Amino acid sequence: MKITWNWLLDYVDVSDLTPQEVAQKMTNAGIPVEHMEPFVDGVSGVVVGEVVHVEQHPNADRLRICTVDVGAQAHLTIVCGAHNVAASQRVPVALVGAKLPGMEIGKSKLRGVISEGMICSVSELGIDPYLFPKEQTTGIFVLAQDAPVGEDMNVYLGLNDMVMELELTPNRSDCLSLRGVAYEVAALFGRSVRMPNPQLQTLEVTVRDLSVSIETDLCTAYAGQVVEGLQLGSAPMWMQMRLLAVGMRSINNLVDITNYVMFEWGQPLHAFNYEVIDRQQVIVRQAVTGEQIVTLDGQTRTLTEAMIVIADPSKALGLAGVMGGQNSEVTADTTAVVIESALFDPLQTRRTGKTLQLRSEAGLRFEKGPDPTVISAALARAVELMVHYAGGRIAASPVLLGDAFDHMKYKKVVVGTSRVERLLGFSVSARQMLDVCNRLQFGVEVEADHFVVEVPSRRPDITIEEDMIEEFARLIGYEHIPTTMIEGPLTAGHLTKEQYVRRIITDHLIAQGLQEVVTYSLVSLEELSRIGLEPDHEWPQSIPLLHPLSDDHSVLRTTMLPSLLAVAKMNVSYRRLDLRLFEMGKVYWSKQLPLLEQPDERLMLAGLLLGRKHPEHPYDRARAYDFYDAKGITESILARTGIHAPVVFERAATPYFHGGQSADLSIQGVTCGRVGRVHQAVANAYDLPDCYYFELDVRALVEASTNELYVAEIPRFPGVVRDLALVVKHELAVSALLATVKEVAGEELNAMNVFDIYTGDGIEEGDKSVALRLFFQSLSRTLTDDEMETTINRILTHVKSVHGAVLRE
Amino acid sequence: MRERLLELQVQALAEIEKVDALEELETWRVGYLGKKGELSGVLRTMGTLSVEERPLVGQIANDVRAELETAYQTREKSLQIAAMRKREAKETIDVTLPGRKSWLGAEHPLHKVIRRIEDIFLGFGFTVEEGPEVELDYYNFEALNLPKDHPARDMQDTFYITEEILMRTHTSPMQARMLAERYPATDIRMIVPGRVYRRDDDDATHSHAFMQVEGLVVGHGVRMSDLKGMLLQFAREMFGEDQEVRLRPSFFPFTEPSAELDIRCIYCGGSGCRTCKQTGFIEILGCGMIHPNVLQMQGYDARELSGFAFGMGVERIAMLMYRVEDIRQFYQNDVRLLEQFATLTR
Ligand SMILES: [Zn+2]
Repeated sequence: MKITWNWLLDYVDVSDLTPQEVAQKMTNAGIPVEHMEPFVDGVSGVVVGEVVHVEQHPNADRLRICTVDVGAQAHLTIVCGAHNVAASQRVPVALVGAKLPGMEIGKSKLRGVISEGMICSVSELGIDPYLFPKEQTTGIFVLAQDAPVGEDMNVYLGLNDMVMELELTPNRSDCLSLRGVAYEVAALFGRSVRMPNPQLQTLEVTVRDLSVSIETDLCTAYAGQVVEGLQLGSAPMWMQMRLLAVGMRSINNLVDITNYVMFEWGQPLHAFNYEVIDRQQVIVRQAVTGEQIVTLDGQTRTLTEAMIVIADPSKALGLAGVMGGQNSEVTADTTAVVIESALFDPLQTRRTGKTLQLRSEAGLRFEKGPDPTVISAALARAVELMVHYAGGRIAASPVLLGDAFDHMKYKKVVVGTSRVERLLGFSVSARQMLDVCNRLQFGVEVEADHFVVEVPSRRPDITIEEDMIEEFARLIGYEHIPTTMIEGPLTAGHLTKEQYVRRIITDHLIAQGLQEVVTYSLVSLEELSRIGLEPDHEWPQSIPLLHPLSDDHSVLRTTMLPSLLAVAKMNVSYRRLDLRLFEMGKVYWSKQLPLLEQPDERLMLAGLLLGRKHPEHPYDRARAYDFYDAKGITESILARTGIHAPVVFERAATPYFHGGQSADLSIQGVTCGRVGRVHQAVANAYDLPDCYYFELDVRALVEASTNELYVAEIPRFPGVVRDLALVVKHELAVSALLATVKEVAGEELNAMNVFDIYTGDGIEEGDKSVALRLFFQSLSRTLTDDEMETTINRILTHVKSVHGAVLRE
Repeated sequence: MRERLLELQVQALAEIEKVDALEELETWRVGYLGKKGELSGVLRTMGTLSVEERPLVGQIANDVRAELETAYQTREKSLQIAAMRKREAKETIDVTLPGRKSWLGAEHPLHKVIRRIEDIFLGFGFTVEEGPEVELDYYNFEALNLPKDHPARDMQDTFYITEEILMRTHTSPMQARMLAERYPATDIRMIVPGRVYRRDDDDATHSHAFMQVEGLVVGHGVRMSDLKGMLLQFAREMFGEDQEVRLRPSFFPFTEPSAELDIRCIYCGGSGCRTCKQTGFIEILGCGMIHPNVLQMQGYDARELSGFAFGMGVERIAMLMYRVEDIRQFYQNDVRLLEQFATLTR
């Protein structure tokens, strides 16, 4: 919402203050003045002039020599290049020495003729030509015939004004009018409001009949009056300029007047051609489904039953509160109009506007529900202005229908005196409260322990006690609210187990040198095919948005892989080739589509490794990441998370992983993640080299995580180390060999590591040697050589019978 | 014999001076002090001496042996030191070469900010709650005093999935969820960090997805001054000891009275700059007293209980704190930006 300073001063006298002072106070009171700038900056020395005589320039086809009267003794000679200059026009004349935005006017010689100034166009005056009718912006700015010759253009056009842009919160629709802003400013500075007081005029003898009937509950009040004898033309310049300053395009005097009154009172008006009304009957009714109307913008609109139309007995004339119909449009030969000032159901107006995608200043105000008490005032004001500025005559008494006129003039809100302090935390005296009510011009009855406030209908946002308490706080000033600490029981803050485990994991990975990333959850459907998932894959289907803004963010992700690959791709394109990325983020798994209930939002820990495992050093050869690095990180996460249950890694066939380097991991039969080398085709699709990925289900990790709070005893007896190199078939999984060893190793086996895998000389083709280091430890005694001999023999016999493993020579 | 011993001593000591390798020293030791060495050889002839002479010569012999052993040890030590020096000279490296580095990981700035906010409110006795991002219309709007068709819904253009299911537009639905879940609670202090979504085109200051931290306090006699006091403490923890806060009236459908909270501009300290539009203050969050309808809808008596709520944008705070100019940078994950956070201690 834009207003101008001078316009505001018409209704509340704060001329002793600067616009900045008023803006500051409004901002602090919850009506932020987001932006404030001079309407037009830097124009001086420009006056209204009359073109007395025009003749062709002898040396230039396109130039004309004008004799111009600017109210001074001598006429000026001005060379002008505009095609539309003509004798007897009133025009803005920049005198020698005048300042215009970005230029200064001096005496000049144009093709041999001295020019004593310049006739200006709209944009040369620094006015946005966009909001002007086209005929006024091509060539020089032709002013009204009554423009006073010699008057300063700043005065004539009201250019010396400040435009203030208010950033209104949705509750303060009252400030969608100068009247509302004036009441607010008056309350802030303890001033009074002086609105015009137009009165509806009745006519003894009706010249033009008009009957109105309301046939829907969605119209609660309707006021209309016929004005005849109108001459379509331009609105007075000051009115055009004010509308222009607040961002309204000037159309013609009739439309400009309805807009001006709307800005003044907040009540949207509509003027439509009286002549086209069949049988002089206006009917407000709901549309018939399928009914069509061509609106002012030339579009054919198909209506539904819920929409409200203004009609006559044979046809719809307009969409109530949204847009008029082309058939009743005011045109150059219109001389009689009906001015309509009415109230339509805010929700329905909003819905109609949304459905037809028609947003307008009028619609905006109808949606919020204008003040029902200004319907007749706004109508009277518009009639008055049309009589004054458009040659109109009242042709009939006004028609007033509906019950909103006096109904709801004010609403009573009871405020408990002690409740104010209990909610705000500081004491507000009865006198202060009374003062606030007076400043707001709210009626008030003071009782022993409460106030009954009569909130006028112009403030529909105040309906309950708390709203009124906010008004007290707002006008006394939020800066008076003290700072206190909550009273009541002391509580200990704490994280949940899951939140705690998540922090441990994050810290662990960061300490491992991984970089955390955060990516969007809304991805494109295409991403899934890029990682090799066919549209009919058996994984959870992505949940689509109803109305995405772009294809890039149109579905909820079901895997984190594309997100991390995209991050890697972008960084690799900047030649950052060593990347260790992780993200803890959600994936969204639907149970069925379309969704009937909220999906499963799963927190996933995903990591992507590519490039070298360590930074370079002159004495080290940097090694590239491989599968075991990714697996090692996942194992370290599991260990760090306190998972003591056995974790099983099994070869898996995940579509986006390398066929031979892909594993699923599970804890006690519950699958909780996967790790693998990204499939070459997938890596290629993202222009990436070899990379390794892991994804873990965080909830599963948290569930498997134990809360052990005790430590194990440190052994007092020495342990024994034995190394075994076993030759087995190449395809035997080492994990199977280890499991077999464990079966017979006895409880003294404390740890077992694989320290070498060897193929080549001395080992037959198809075999491999697996070197194990076994560590035996007893808590109760020193293990003897004989004992160890027996155990090792037992192990060797067992692995031989199960895997055919033999001790390497 | 005495002369022979003293001669031996002089000779041995003269020789040891010339020894300059540990192997030579060993030869010297064997030659003089060994079982078959010179000294033993002399002593073996002790039998030829008279009974009176023997103790005297024995004493001299012991003195000579002690003397030679001391000389041996001294020489051994200095030769050892020399040998080590030699080895060290050979092992000398260029200590100015860089050390072997590990990759330095870093927390993402948005999560860094959230963690800091969490820690501050944990200190105030809050819990950290999380809720669904794919939310029901009821919790996102209706339970927050935003019935269908409420004009304030325009403030938040919404990504719908079905008529009733949507991407939450704020973390506030957790207010209603927690009030319902903990009914009939008389004391709630929680914050809710999380992702939210708006149907906005991405640009330098807008993102279709961003993060918020919601706060909710419910109890007997909770006042707006408590809200201001707590947020002042928060602002001081977060932005510096000497921070000041300012409340300005605002509007949220689910709070009444409502306010925006400003802190003193962290760039100019309040004197006015481009960031604070010369006001000296910057807005960091919206807050207010819980609207009685919100309490009542979950079965609470708004005359009995009161409370406050606040909500802040994580990106906005991160942008202010770390002077990031474009919100999209947080989601682009350019490691040239992210790795800088590995060396930031705050
Ligand atoms: Zn500043």
